[in-house]
Amino acid sequence: MMLYELRNITGNPFVHIFGIGMPLFMAVFITRTAVSEMTDAAMVKNVSTSIFLGIGALIPMATVLMGYAVLHAQELEKGIPERLRLFGIKNYVTICNRALSELIFLSVAFALYFLTGILFMDLEAPVFSGFILYVICIACFSAICFAIGHAIAALAKRFSVTYCITMLVYFACMMLGGMMGISYENMPSVLQAAAKLLPVTYFSRDFFTIWTGETYNFISMIQAYLFFGAVAGILLFAAIRKNT
Amino acid sequence: MEQSALLSIENLTVRYGKDTALQIESPIIIEEGDRVGIIGSNGAGKSTLIKSILGLVHYEGSIHTRLQMEQIATHMQFNEYTDAMPTKHIMEAILQTKISRSQKLRDLIDYFEFGDCLRKKYSRLSGGQRQRFTIIMVMMQDAPLTFYDEVTSGLDFETRQKLVEKLASWYQDRDSSLCIVSHYYEELEQLADKLLILDKGHVIDYGQKEDLFRKYCGRAVIVLNNSTENEQLFWSYEKLASPAHLIALPCETEEKEKELTALLLAHNKNYTRSSTDIEMIYANAKKAFLERQGKECEL
Repeated sequence: MMLYELRNITGNPFVHIFGIGMPLFMAVFITRTAVSEMTDAAMVKNVSTSIFLGIGALIPMATVLMGYAVLHAQELEKGIPERLRLFGIKNYVTICNRALSELIFLSVAFALYFLTGILFMDLEAPVFSGFILYVICIACFSAICFAIGHAIAALAKRFSVTYCITMLVYFACMMLGGMMGISYENMPSVLQAAAKLLPVTYFSRDFFTIWTGETYNFISMIQAYLFFGAVAGILLFAAIRKNT
Repeated sequence: MEQSALLSIENLTVRYGKDTALQIESPIIIEEGDRVGIIGSNGAGKSTLIKSILGLVHYEGSIHTRLQMEQIATHMQFNEYTDAMPTKHIMEAILQTKISRSQKLRDLIDYFEFGDCLRKKYSRLSGGQRQRFTIIMVMMQDAPLTFYDEVTSGLDFETRQKLVEKLASWYQDRDSSLCIVSHYYEELEQLADKLLILDKGHVIDYGQKEDLFRKYCGRAVIVLNNSTENEQLFWSYEKLASPAHLIALPCETEEKEKELTALLLAHNKNYTRSSTDIEMIYANAKKAFLERQGKECEL
């Protein structure tokens, strides 16, 4: 069933376009545009790496939050989980296999992303702890995205509704995370308050500091993860309640 | 519950909102080796009964079985699968075996002539191919109890006949119990030994096909088209309930049957004779049921 789930994920062209193609294109394109007139090599590295680390957060949002949610909703709409259950395949087995498959897909996507970054971008090399923290943060963020995606699909149970909701969340996160042209510093205070609650903001705004091993106060970032996790928990609880 | 009973249902009630979709009071027992045809018009509660047995809908009452859920195989009315991969991979994942490693699976694929469809995605399959795809996987489960819910719905006459012949032949020498929901009585003639007749969520009757025929239609029945000429020819004879386009004449004795057939031959009339006709069982069982309730029967 693991291979089946992996085929199920990779069979969705959406995750290739939005989960791999778009982050790669955006990272290279935005970075080149942003640094085109810079002369200070250190500044080029700083800006390139900040953009690269920030856009990396789009990969779990596109593949897990949107990709998985849409796939799950489509299957629920068609009654596929019920059909599989009648063949003796339990729901938790399906979910576990899907989570592992998403992990494999994410790992491959990030491997490609880092390979492209190393080959085509002028990136600052991380300190060991910075790299490990980036991996941990991406893993936590992906897990929360998985829970939110699962809950949205289980609540909406329809492909169209799920697609619409996750697309809105995706673009809202991109916008508030400072990836749509307006940086955190230039946002109105209301939007800044909202942006502070999103883990994606910290990937694009602050992660360069962690990446290079400089001193960083993690409290706001942890609060954002806790908030996002709490939202996921509430949505999951609502989804379980609705379906039992 | 008796030793040979696979499943027993008693005092079962299923509600959809305020509507009662199914209400079974007297016990229904499905025994080992039973081939039960579940019949009734739309909204009779046939699929609801299967869904309640499988635990897919909430119900009140008791459904007892000594089988684990994994020992019950089901072909639902609507079966959907992912479109992200060819059917071969879906089949191998669900059955947890490689086609190349399972002789039994290869035999089933050959038996149902599905080999050419293995590389196709599910959405690319025709209606008949889709049904065969699920049937192969249901049969691979080799379950003691199997449900087929309208397995031939949406198929053309020829595909339907071919599929039912294959099903009948496959299960001929097997001990598995089957519950088959169908609107096509001729399919149940081949597949079912027992009938569970439902109407608007109530059980009209349950029993051996032959017993039910004797109970509601007598020894045998002669069926002919309902035309003015035929109506006039048999106006004085007792008739059984039947669909509007047919006339059904009961033959309680051999002499009565001889008399009727002689009359039919003398007037060169086409007719069929049966002692198991499910359509006649259904029509007359429903009539008796409605009469018991003080209602008129419209077939």
